[in-house]
Amino acid sequence: MQRNKTPNRKKITIMFLVVFLAMMFLSGRLVYLMIFCSEYYGQKAEDLHERERDIKAARGKILDRNGMVLATNRSVCTISVIHNQITEPEAVIDMLVAELGISEETAKKRVEKVSSIERVKTNVNKEVGDRIRAYGLAGVKVDEDYKRYYPFHTLASTVLGFTGADNQGIVGLEVEYDSYLQGISGKILTLTDARGIEIENAGETRLEPVSGNDLVISLDYNIQMYCEQVAERAYIKKSADRVSIIVMNPQNGELLAMVNYPEYNLNDPFTLNLSEEEIGVLSDAEKQNALNQMWRNPCVSDTYEPGSTFKIITSAAALEENVVSLSDNFYCPGYKIVEDRRIRCSKTTGHGSQDFSLGLCNSCNPVFMTLGERLGSANFYKYFRQFGLLSKTNIDLPGEAATIMHAEKNIGPVELATISFGQSFQITPIQLCTTVSAILNGGNRVIPHFGIRVQTSEGKLVETLEYPVATDICSDKTSETMCTLLEKVVSEGTGKNAKVDGFAIGGKTATSQTLPRSLKRYISSFLGFAPAEHPEVLVLVIINDPQGVYYGGTIAAPLAKEIFENILPYLDK
Amino acid sequence: MAGKQKKSKPLRYYDYSLLFLIIFLLCFGLVMLYSTSSYYGFTRFDDSAYYVKKQLFATSLGIVAMFVVSIIPYQWWMKWATLGYIAAFGLCVAVIFVGREAKGQSRWLQIGPLSFQPSELAKLAIILFIATIIYKTPRGLGNWKNLLKIGAMSLPVIFPILYNNLSTAIIIAGIVVCMLFVASPKSRYFILLGAVGIIAVVLVVMFAISGGEGGYRLERVQIWLNPEAHEKGYQTLQGLYAIGSGGLFGKGLGESMQKLGFIPEAQNDMIFSVICEELGLFGAICVIILFILVIWRLMIIANNAQDLFGSMLVVGVMSHLSIQVVLNIAVVTNTIPNTGISLPFISYGGTSILFLLAEMGLALSVARGIKLES
Repeated sequence: MQRNKTPNRKKITIMFLVVFLAMMFLSGRLVYLMIFCSEYYGQKAEDLHERERDIKAARGKILDRNGMVLATNRSVCTISVIHNQITEPEAVIDMLVAELGISEETAKKRVEKVSSIERVKTNVNKEVGDRIRAYGLAGVKVDEDYKRYYPFHTLASTVLGFTGADNQGIVGLEVEYDSYLQGISGKILTLTDARGIEIENAGETRLEPVSGNDLVISLDYNIQMYCEQVAERAYIKKSADRVSIIVMNPQNGELLAMVNYPEYNLNDPFTLNLSEEEIGVLSDAEKQNALNQMWRNPCVSDTYEPGSTFKIITSAAALEENVVSLSDNFYCPGYKIVEDRRIRCSKTTGHGSQDFSLGLCNSCNPVFMTLGERLGSANFYKYFRQFGLLSKTNIDLPGEAATIMHAEKNIGPVELATISFGQSFQITPIQLCTTVSAILNGGNRVIPHFGIRVQTSEGKLVETLEYPVATDICSDKTSETMCTLLEKVVSEGTGKNAKVDGFAIGGKTATSQTLPRSLKRYISSFLGFAPAEHPEVLVLVIINDPQGVYYGGTIAAPLAKEIFENILPYLDK
Repeated sequence: MAGKQKKSKPLRYYDYSLLFLIIFLLCFGLVMLYSTSSYYGFTRFDDSAYYVKKQLFATSLGIVAMFVVSIIPYQWWMKWATLGYIAAFGLCVAVIFVGREAKGQSRWLQIGPLSFQPSELAKLAIILFIATIIYKTPRGLGNWKNLLKIGAMSLPVIFPILYNNLSTAIIIAGIVVCMLFVASPKSRYFILLGAVGIIAVVLVVMFAISGGEGGYRLERVQIWLNPEAHEKGYQTLQGLYAIGSGGLFGKGLGESMQKLGFIPEAQNDMIFSVICEELGLFGAICVIILFILVIWRLMIIANNAQDLFGSMLVVGVMSHLSIQVVLNIAVVTNTIPNTGISLPFISYGGTSILFLLAEMGLALSVARGIKLES
């Protein structure tokens, strides 16, 4: 029998020690992995197990100045599929095709895509969502969320704008005040196994969404609606291209209405507001272009030659510079020779002899060409700058267009003459309103705006929106004189169609020809305000390309009159 | 009469410490196996206890085998050594041709409702065979020719296993080397062998770092070097996620997330990572200490064995256990490249637990042979 010898024992002990050291080394490795790398690997593992679903936050409402809801939310559903959980792919595809009206190809692609969760369609009506839920198919997820809803559909469409699939503002006030309106999305965190199945009893972590704040705007639903009706009638009667109306408080810049007729349906912003035949002939690119045009707000984004309404500004500049007094006499032969050109007056037979006030009442071009001459280009430019015409109004709407004006050094006598009666340069309608407001309100250039304040959904004030005012852009005296003069234009002159019994209305008409002149297309407009001695409301009516009679005094002034007749008693209340 | 009897009968020793450690490890293993495998059991067989039931059956069988073996004087097995060797060789060859395939490798023999892994039998057979040979080669083990000869005798069994189970082949080779190391009075051959081994490993790793291509084995080395960058590093990485998310005290028994399908076949080779996740560093170190204690008991038995045969048997068992524990934990912690080695007593595997317990029975039998000198 062989004995177990001492060298063997020694070697057995060595073997044990080697194993022991190996174990110690592995323990050290475990300490390293489980203490020092714990956070890193733990986080990675958690990322792997957690599935995150967003809970949309309710977007803030938009309210008119009286609390009327102009934009709100409606419950809709988002339909998603979870690839790992689908047991009957064919049934799911059939259901998606039947309920959502998507092509079989699209449905198949969504169902067969290997991803943790695949969104099939958003903004599905709640009834459809409920029906899909009732199918009880595994792997189909119906999540409720919100969709923007505009109770008055087309009302103030170009002002309000609309939101996209993720509830983000796309145009209009929706995008301008997006940061206030948009809430903070919530999250549902659930744990899943490797197949993506949620683990029962694991508990889900919910991060509650924070609703967006409400925006109160200065727009008045009644005035807006009335103005839209007025615009619609004129649009139809004059077969116009577009009718725009701005109603604004010249004292503080609050906008009460802004109409660009035809408006579009905010609840269906991707459908053109044209007839079937008109849409039928458009290519895709043209369609997109037409949509962009439809969403535009021309009062803010488009410039035009203001024409005679601009004479208000020329007059104010001349009064400010003391190059004209009310008693000054002018003679109009029906034209004025500037350099080698003969620039005609609207009345080709001439207005004859007239004082300044009458010249304004007659809207006599030679009178204003003379004023321009007296001012000189340098001075005129100085007042442009002083009145704020060369900068934007900073209205709280996106896409404001800048003034298109001659460079100062390029203004020769002819340019100076045409500028004097509002031609050869372009401004936006809102720029005209803002500048005239400043001249009428005693020289305070206010920022035209809609946003008044931001409040919580319970109505608690969050922020009052403030707008800086540039003061003293003209003297009080000039301002008062202009109010008086313009009141006369309505009571005795070209603006008499805007006269409203019992109210002192001031105003100025304009008829401008669009470029190129050969097309004989016109823009008729009227800018009016009331009460004349202390204007509280200013109305600008612009009719684009009217058919038939196109004089501003004939077709635009009566619209202003209609508006005044209705809103002045309403505002007095 | 009775007193006389007592006197003539030497005081017998039974290693209850080892027995207790084994039973404790078995119970712990079953609990962890249930925790780990219930997800797969439920999703695949609609029975969360599916795996643990099968394991419990094998364990019961193993415990019976352990007690039977432990009361049979171990010298009796010597005459079975050659037969066991031939049987192991035959079965290992047979499995290549008639084995049940799982994951592209045929490692199981199907006998009725039972499946059987011959390579596990081979481990026991080799331990018995080599111990017998060493016992019968007196004073010859200082000679390198004899060492090589005995080593070469294990090759007929190793080669068929190598064909479809590299890990087990490595373990068997390791057992043989350990037994020869202990039996031989010389050490330098083994130091030389170790040096050659280390150089070979360094060369392979350098080749892998340089981005060389050479089949799936080299790919494993590349995964080991950077599991996050490698597209096939999934299993290793999932194991690391489990270990890392355990922290100091773990998530609690049954609370592992990674066992929910993230770690492929978590109940097999990767079960230690789930222990880490659920019981934390504390639990993992406790398991390591348990294994150290078992190996320590085996060392005591081997050192005090009645004869060289008993000592060599226990050395074989001890090296088998040590190699598997060290390599398994090293693989799970990504200390060495991934290779399929199960964790003794804990990983799922019926044949493995059965033969492991039989080996423990041998060790207990050897322990019984120890004469206490009081």
